Amino acid sequence: MLRRAVLQTFRQGLAQSFFKRNAVSLSETTVTHQPIETSDEADEKSVSKQKPGDESGNTVVVAPPEFRFMYPEFLPDPAMERRNRLKEKLERIDMLQRRSVVEIPEFYTGSVMAVTVADANSPNKFARFVGICIQRGGSGLRAWFILRNVVDKQGVEILYEMYCPLIQKIEVLRLERRLDESLLYLRDALPEYSTFPLDMEPERRLNNSVVPINPLKVKLRPRPWLERWERQNLQGVEDLNLPQRFYDKAEKVAKPWEKYDLMLQYRKTIPAEEQEKIFADVHSQLQQQEFKRKIRRRRGIDNEQ
Amino acid sequence: MFWLFFNHEQVRTMSRVKRRTTHPPYWHVLKNNQRQDEKISSDNLRFVREVIQDKYKNKSPIKGSDLDIEKKEWDPKTKRSGVIARNIGVQHMWEKDGKKVVCTVLHVLDNHVIRYVPPEEYAKSIIGAKVFRNRKPLGCLVVGAEAANPDRFTRQYCSLFSEVGLLPKKRLARFIVTPNAVLPPCTPLTAGHFVIGQAVDVYGKTIDYGFQGVVKRWGFKGGPASHGATKFHRRGGTIGTGRDKARVWPGQKMPGHMGSERRFCRGLKIVRINMKYNVIYVKGTVPGPTNSIVQIFDTLLPRRKFTEAPPHPTYFPPEDGTLPQEDIWDSSLHVFGSPSISV
Repeated sequence: MLRRAVLQTFRQGLAQSFFKRNAVSLSETTVTHQPIETSDEADEKSVSKQKPGDESGNTVVVAPPEFRFMYPEFLPDPAMERRNRLKEKLERIDMLQRRSVVEIPEFYTGSVMAVTVADANSPNKFARFVGICIQRGGSGLRAWFILRNVVDKQGVEILYEMYCPLIQKIEVLRLERRLDESLLYLRDALPEYSTFPLDMEPERRLNNSVVPINPLKVKLRPRPWLERWERQNLQGVEDLNLPQRFYDKAEKVAKPWEKYDLMLQYRKTIPAEEQEKIFADVHSQLQQQEFKRKIRRRRGIDNEQ
Repeated sequence: MFWLFFNHEQVRTMSRVKRRTTHPPYWHVLKNNQRQDEKISSDNLRFVREVIQDKYKNKSPIKGSDLDIEKKEWDPKTKRSGVIARNIGVQHMWEKDGKKVVCTVLHVLDNHVIRYVPPEEYAKSIIGAKVFRNRKPLGCLVVGAEAANPDRFTRQYCSLFSEVGLLPKKRLARFIVTPNAVLPPCTPLTAGHFVIGQAVDVYGKTIDYGFQGVVKRWGFKGGPASHGATKFHRRGGTIGTGRDKARVWPGQKMPGHMGSERRFCRGLKIVRINMKYNVIYVKGTVPGPTNSIVQIFDTLLPRRKFTEAPPHPTYFPPEDGTLPQEDIWDSSLHVFGSPSISV
């Protein structure tokens, strides 16, 4: 029903590409949000295409709309007092330079990753850590993500800065999404949900165009917890089974008007026109880098064979 | 001996000096035009713009070889001109051993030298007399940055620039220079004026916090948050003894306006210069919020001054037409395009 309604709002060919990448938004947001959001992307094509001219008569290259989920750190911090276009441009140049040396793959919260870091105190001088990405944030060269794993019955979390030159390799062992943007509740969950073997092999996906959403519902340990999870509208958590007074207090403290606050959303995000410009800037270089890597990988496979 | 007690005795000097004003000094020329809603037709507007462009057409760049003033040699006691820049933000860089370094990005605006005031004349002015009371007088270079439409400014303000033939600038600054580092008017100053690895002093106005309480402004501890404290959480407490002097001493720390003061950050190291965009990366932080204007000049700190000659009196692009290196990095920094660090 929902799918049909969304399909009717814009063209056929575009709808499929939208679903492939933005599948999570179907479950989260209300119906009213989507037409507003997607009408911007409806103007952009799924494959990067040349837009028929602007004033000067030059064709404009437009990045695919998925870029803002694949590379969210290219978008600057929305706080208006601290924004400067020149500085953001220079930062993006540096980010692309770093990406040309190290492959920073597409990943989301809930993906299992392995990071190899140069470490003077390790026996091999390199330290490799495998974990599930529970949170990611920062913008520009400050972008970071947190990996969590349980090693010898001890929960371990490591924050990695994506553009730190000590990082030798970032591999995504399992690329998937979860029902929440932040998986901090895994700290209060049963340890089996955060345990991943340190020698895990990268999993190959059959369908490369879709990023699967893992609808796993995690079981939490009994209280006390680190945060009041009942107040956070978590989708990926099993029924908390708390006494009713907790839910009553959560309702009292909740701010249900925030989802109607347009200015709040505006201040928290970069407007679509600016996002377009930023990704158009960055798009061709990223594509070139990916292309070179694919060739290198294919050559590597051929050499092995 | 009072410095031995500075932990629990407030320093009361400078308590009566006014730290900030909202009005400019009396000798400032009135700057901004009271904009009246002039109903000009679009054709006439276009004509006015053409006239402005013709009048202030780009002059040919000044070459190092044809300086009016005889080129003097650099010596360790020379004071060069400074530069007006905008603090455009903070970027993280990494050193070659993997240590993270917070660098401030400073965008050198379109600086041009407006005027030179020779030492004898400057020493006669009110400020010059104060500065050089017991010292040998030095000259003063007036530098302007950020050209703007002459419509915005008064005729008096524009006249400061029209003698030189420049578009009026939004920002002016004075830099004390020795006579051998003088520059002729209309000389552009760029990021190349500085050298990688040199120490600079950055002078700016700090972030304006407004009226702030005693905890944020002076770092007082306030009172307990609970345990029955009645209305005493972020207050100052006692402001004096009963006996001694029997009044509140001047300079007593109290709530008030915090910030928006002129401060120097001394000895900041330049770690990267981008000649294409005229941008300097400086190790550390700088007074003032993002997008505020600061002044940068060679450091006063005696141990971090130049040992070799810098571009003196300023940087001029090479006359044989070769372009300078676009992005210059300090040897201690890890360049982003180079391979990952392995320890």
